Amino acid sequence: MNVNADPLVEDYLRHLEAVSSVLPGYRRAELLTEIRAHLDEALRQVPAGDEAAVRSVLERLGSPEEIVAAAADPMPDGQFVPFPVPAPAPETNGLAIASLLFGIFWLGGIGSLAALILGYRARREIRRSAGGQRGSSLATIGIVLGWIGIAALVIAAVAAFFLLAATTTTGPSITSTVAPVPTG
Amino acid sequence: MSQLRKGTLEYCVLALLDEGQRYGFELVRTLSEADGLMVSEGTIYPLLSRLRRDLLVETSWQESESGPPRRYYHLTDAGRRALADFSDEWTKFRDSVDALLQHKEKGRERER
Repeated sequence: MNVNADPLVEDYLRHLEAVSSVLPGYRRAELLTEIRAHLDEALRQVPAGDEAAVRSVLERLGSPEEIVAAAADPMPDGQFVPFPVPAPAPETNGLAIASLLFGIFWLGGIGSLAALILGYRARREIRRSAGGQRGSSLATIGIVLGWIGIAALVIAAVAAFFLLAATTTTGPSITSTVAPVPTG
Repeated sequence: MSQLRKGTLEYCVLALLDEGQRYGFELVRTLSEADGLMVSEGTIYPLLSRLRRDLLVETSWQESESGPPRRYYHLTDAGRRALADFSDEWTKFRDSVDALLQHKEKGRERER
């Protein structure tokens, strides 16, 4: 009897094809080839039209679900994990948050310095955690704010210096141009 | 019990192949007819695939007198070694379990 001639067998194979789609391609193809060959051999001994005998062949074979589960099952000494184990949700690195906060609160330049130190350390820690920690962008913002803060401090210092220099050098001339307040 | 069955089934396959090469259907029928193994025939094919991937068995296609070519399974050297190791372990395991079970039986007789 031909495998494809029997509606019961056809149904079974269609079902197996659908259920086995979870298996890797090559293993699925191998399994389907073997099951088809098996049915081919088994049904050759069955007289055409003997539905009970066909049912018995399929019953002995087992349900498609059972067979696919066996194909996806780990070995007794099991290395193979059928489903990926979810990794713990990554945590935000604390130093990165601190860096961002110090970056925002300039604190007369001390905050900026802290933002830079903490920001670089945070990025190193996050890199080492290899996906275990988040917050790299926070740390980067902290570092940028830190550098802006430092730059602002330097500009302010330079500006203050020139202003002071200008006041001291031009000071007397300014005072001399100011009309003396009449003392009475 | 089903874990024990599953764990030993692969060695039953290796043991059958130790006698000589067999094609899938032949192997599967022999195993499913063995008393007490109680195995769905279809689940043996994934096991064969695993043994092949673990290089314990090899396959080759051979012509048959009736019908399409058949895929034959045969043991590799690694498979033969794995079978020998298991045989040793199994003998020890079986003797220990037997001894314990007999001990229990005797205890029950004494109670009566």
